Amino acid sequence: MTKYMIDKFMRAVEMSDDAVSRYVADPAGFVDEWLAGGGTPDLPTDDRVLTPEERDAFAAVDHAALYALGAHPYLLWHFIEAAHTHEFGDGFGWRDLVERYRADVAPHGHVDYIP
Amino acid sequence: MAELVMAAATPHNPLLWRAMRDPMPDDLAAVAGNFARIRETIRELGVDVLVVVGTDHIRQFFFDHAPAFVVGKAAQYHGTYENEVRTFGMEYVELTGHPELAEAIAGRELLPEAIDFAVSHEWRLDHGFVIPLQYLRPELDLPIVPIHTNATLPPLPSPRRFAVLGEHLRETIAAWESDARVALITSGHMATDVGGPRQFAGSPDPEFDADAVAWMRDGDLEGAVDGCRFDRVMAAGNVTYQYVNVITALAAMGGRPADLAEATESRFASSPFFMWRKPA
Repeated sequence: MTKYMIDKFMRAVEMSDDAVSRYVADPAGFVDEWLAGGGTPDLPTDDRVLTPEERDAFAAVDHAALYALGAHPYLLWHFIEAAHTHEFGDGFGWRDLVERYRADVAPHGHVDYIP
Repeated sequence: MAELVMAAATPHNPLLWRAMRDPMPDDLAAVAGNFARIRETIRELGVDVLVVVGTDHIRQFFFDHAPAFVVGKAAQYHGTYENEVRTFGMEYVELTGHPELAEAIAGRELLPEAIDFAVSHEWRLDHGFVIPLQYLRPELDLPIVPIHTNATLPPLPSPRRFAVLGEHLRETIAAWESDARVALITSGHMATDVGGPRQFAGSPDPEFDADAVAWMRDGDLEGAVDGCRFDRVMAAGNVTYQYVNVITALAAMGGRPADLAEATESRFASSPFFMWRKPA
């Protein structure tokens, strides 16, 4: 279940401009707010659970830790891209993020990311 | 009866959307040229409806329900998602469906042998469908039948079943009581890693790319099915399995050699371009 929830959180953030903005502004606060949400009578199956390690990785926007924990790589890259785009400027841009990300995940090799 | 007049396979790399603009960068001219070649063939052949075989990128179909094959039966489709507008600069589009052909493909009673279609009446199409359509038919005026193949979330359908899908499409279109001229478009890529340690550093597996072109160039359906074993394809990159969509086109064309078979180089990765005029 745990990899599934990592992927579910990333998807919930990346698919929404508003969620990206709120996550970027306060990652830890957003994670805790997300965890506090969930099922309602209309959405009885919207479970939201993260381990402390997963919660901390999201709170720190730590892509290497999330990769090692089994985040789906495709979702992870787009999530990280969304979380860092606001930093792009003259001295740091998309290609720099690609290089930094690749260097950080490479030591972990190919991880099992299938939930 | 309807006629399947062509098939083609193109990339759907959304990074092209910002970069492939006039004045055309040198390294993207060949990609733009191949899109144009297929676009002109669709016009020349008077295509009336497009069947588009592609793979949703964990947007519409997430891990909570990931069907193997989905036929879109809607009359209208929205595309794309706000994350793709934000990240790729894509545009929201509205597309017309073709419920009649979709129903002919999916059937009303029993599932076709070796296929397990689900159907969708409410489907937001992501870049895997929208990007090829915007390059191949910028007017977006032809009705479409989108078919999602799960090429991302294991367990994946075997490559043999992609071939069966192609044969099923050819037979269904031939039997459909209509005078429509149908084109089959498949959407995918060559060896590609996204989010893994080999992303955006050139092709992660040029040997796979060369084989992938040769199977289509030579009309080697059995070679393609055998060469697209799960372990081999995933070793070529974590989203390379979307290449397998091309097998559907090859099978639909009766397994004959493609008239165009190319892995076109660009700054991002090798881009697949395949085209057949008329089945064997």
